[in-house]
Amino acid sequence: MSKIIVMTSGKGGVGKTTSSAAFATGLALRGFKTVVIDFDVGLRNLDLVMGCERRVVFDFINVINGEAKLSQALIKDKRIDNLYILPTSQTRDKDALTREGVERVLNDLSKEFDYILCDSPAGIERGALMSLYFADHAIIVTNPEVSSVRDSDRILGVLNSRSRRAEQGLEPVSQQLLLTRYDPDRVERGEMLKVDDVLEILAIPLLGVIPESQAVLRASNVGMPVILDEASNAGQAYTDAVGRFLGEEIEHRFVSPQKKGLFSRLLRRSA
Amino acid sequence: MSIFSFFRSAPRPSAVQAKERLQIVMAHERAGRTGPDYLPMLQQELLSVIAKYIDIDQNKVEVKLDRGGDCSTLELNIELPAREQLKSAMAAVKGAKPEPKPADTADGEAKRSAANGPLTDGGVKKRH
Repeated sequence: MSKIIVMTSGKGGVGKTTSSAAFATGLALRGFKTVVIDFDVGLRNLDLVMGCERRVVFDFINVINGEAKLSQALIKDKRIDNLYILPTSQTRDKDALTREGVERVLNDLSKEFDYILCDSPAGIERGALMSLYFADHAIIVTNPEVSSVRDSDRILGVLNSRSRRAEQGLEPVSQQLLLTRYDPDRVERGEMLKVDDVLEILAIPLLGVIPESQAVLRASNVGMPVILDEASNAGQAYTDAVGRFLGEEIEHRFVSPQKKGLFSRLLRRSA
Repeated sequence: MSIFSFFRSAPRPSAVQAKERLQIVMAHERAGRTGPDYLPMLQQELLSVIAKYIDIDQNKVEVKLDRGGDCSTLELNIELPAREQLKSAMAAVKGAKPEPKPADTADGEAKRSAANGPLTDGGVKKRH
């Protein structure tokens, strides 16, 4: 039985697509047959982050409209077995994303895949609602910043009231927090919300903390999911998060500042 | 802690302010979200009933529902017009002259709940 995961946040620019690409790749690396779907109709970007932008012929909306077969629209990742991308349309209007159409495609995918990861657009409009409606699990991507935390709380409210599981009175969508762009140095200086602050406010379990990292931009520049940059903090943090998602107990790393010498600390403080 | 910290009182970290502001705004938003959707309707109907008897300013009405653990309260806060206006308004409603009252505090505003003041008591209960 396949599991449907939604990567969502409410606010834009917090790292949903980066996290979707990394997470889907991580699940595929663990041997699960995984497909990641871009729900951001009109603003296609997952293809770029995954590095398959030149291989897009048909898309999600074509499949919903019956203009292409699912197998024609699915793009197989060149680096990793078991990993597929379903890109979205760049031109059509968002009304093309009908609940029946999405359900049909998800049903077809669930016959073949272990994990279906839905990359939600920002906001709480149709695309976002469709991406979370059928979800079994929700990963809430949040930055340690007031507007992101507030929007995440809004999205949690939407998940609890407007998802299929909520509407049909089934077991609620499980929710986990992925705190991204975390800067332990700024946290220590009192300039950024702590992990614990965000957890206290949102009151959902912590899946992972992804540190602010230059590796993320480097990876998207070349169309490679950052989880494949195994030397980077961010890549390792995503690998840990995937392990936790699969039920492993892994200690959180990159949440406190790297040790610095006394001299450099005094310099920074007095600067 | 560096030695410089001893010589100046530390300003309140911005992250602490961020957390406090979030807690306040989100407590408010969550309360609004969990509120039942009949509340606006209830408010409208309650107001129209009261407006039948008392001339009230629709803008001076607050309806609040507090959800507690074992009991919830519906708080209705209506600002009544000043006594003189109220008397004439009620006279018009009842179609009779109001009984003369002792000259008490003339212009004090009759505030808070509708069941409080002697005037409203008379106005509403006598209609049974």
